[in-house]
Amino acid sequence: MVKLLTTTLLLTTLIQAEKPSVLLQKNCMACHIKQKIPSELIYRRYLLKYSTHTAIKEQLLSYLKAPKKETSIMPKQFFLKFPEKAALDLNETVLKKSIDAYLDYFDVKNKLILK
Amino acid sequence: MLSSEKRSLLRFLAIYLSSTFILFFLATFIFYTFQKHQIIDTQNTQLAIKSEQITQQLRLLNENFEASLVYPQYDSYDSAIYNLDKAYIFGTTKYINIQWNKEYYQEENRLFYIHTVQPYYLGAAHLVVSQTINQKPLNQLFNMSALFLLIAGMLFTLLGLFLGKLFIAPMKESIHTMNKFIEDTTHELNTPISTILANIELLDSIHDCSGKQEMRRIEIASKTLSRLYEDLTYLKLNHNYHREIEQLNISQLLEERIEFFNTLLEAKNIQVTKDIDADIILEMDKNDAIRLLDNLLSNAIKYNRKSGDLELTLTQKKLKVKNSGLGIKEDNIKEIHNRFRRANSSEGGFGIGLDIIGQVVKRYGFEFQITSTYNQHTEVNISW
Repeated sequence: MVKLLTTTLLLTTLIQAEKPSVLLQKNCMACHIKQKIPSELIYRRYLLKYSTHTAIKEQLLSYLKAPKKETSIMPKQFFLKFPEKAALDLNETVLKKSIDAYLDYFDVKNKLILK
Repeated sequence: MLSSEKRSLLRFLAIYLSSTFILFFLATFIFYTFQKHQIIDTQNTQLAIKSEQITQQLRLLNENFEASLVYPQYDSYDSAIYNLDKAYIFGTTKYINIQWNKEYYQEENRLFYIHTVQPYYLGAAHLVVSQTINQKPLNQLFNMSALFLLIAGMLFTLLGLFLGKLFIAPMKESIHTMNKFIEDTTHELNTPISTILANIELLDSIHDCSGKQEMRRIEIASKTLSRLYEDLTYLKLNHNYHREIEQLNISQLLEERIEFFNTLLEAKNIQVTKDIDADIILEMDKNDAIRLLDNLLSNAIKYNRKSGDLELTLTQKKLKVKNSGLGIKEDNIKEIHNRFRRANSSEGGFGIGLDIIGQVVKRYGFEFQITSTYNQHTEVNISW
């Protein structure tokens, strides 16, 4: 009986645990692409200000929990063209995973090359 | 040039050149170090300029959203970007052991410059640029410094020689005057001494003179003067005297010189014990040998007591002269070789006897050894 319960619980967890890239696509990029929000530009602005992914992650998490124009990394003019972001209804674990995926996806290290 | 003049000149040159060289070496070293820093500073400035160029290109790359971003590269320069946590982002090389606490530093043959990037283009907070030290200007500087030292050394050696000769000129003149005086005096002395000795001999052989004792005293005094004349002439000429080295029969010569000192020996009633091996041959100038033997015998007689003993031994290896004399105090033995040094101040003389012995011994590479017990005996050994 115990074995059956444990196996069922494990399978449920595995099914629910989605890949970070999938989470990013589903929770962030789908909307960004639809609304043509420049995700990489946002990443670069964070990079320009905070330098490290650790610091960016902290700032981004804080912003996504309570997004406001005042706390956004983007200039005020940006919101003339793009809508102000609504708070996401996601738990912190999913948010962190999505941010990690976002930072990995646009990481400059992967784009820089030597000729 | 006399050996004393040479010695003075060499001492002067040694002091003058060593002090000048040390001074010039220090000056050149300071100049070289200063110039080297200037060259390194110039190369560091080049690094700073290059880092500004790279930063500008990073700024452009930060605004570029193409799929690939080509990192700026320059010949002879290496660079890498690091984030605020000093973690490596990208570069032409990945440096290890970066000295983050310094702006400029040198490691082995490379120069490093850490440029702070603000704002953080592509996340770069630090840009490290490096290049291999350009050795060409440093080598040129080294060669120039070495050449300067060489030329200065040569010039100062010539100047030192000129100054040295200028400084010893008065000394040279004094020695020349002194030598001239000795030469003139001894020359003037020679004729009357020879006349006295010749006439004593004549009186002794022709006339049966009643004052034999007085005659012998005159003979001794004249012979002493004669030897003094010979010694002074020898010292005067010693430096440029042309020697005739020959196979000299020392045994025979020693017998002759004992005979010469016979009057003196009889006057002091000294008992001579001879152990002379026959036909001992030495390659020597005869005058040198005579001066050596005369001075050894003269000292052995002069510093002997009345009715004393004189032991003379000549073998294939050495000459031993031992007297039952006044002896020499232990402290004086060490100083015996010094020029004009007398072992016993109670006796007369110019102290040139030991000096002449020393000169001959040195010239022929003999070994001189003197042992003495005060108030008992003195033994001189000359070995070859």
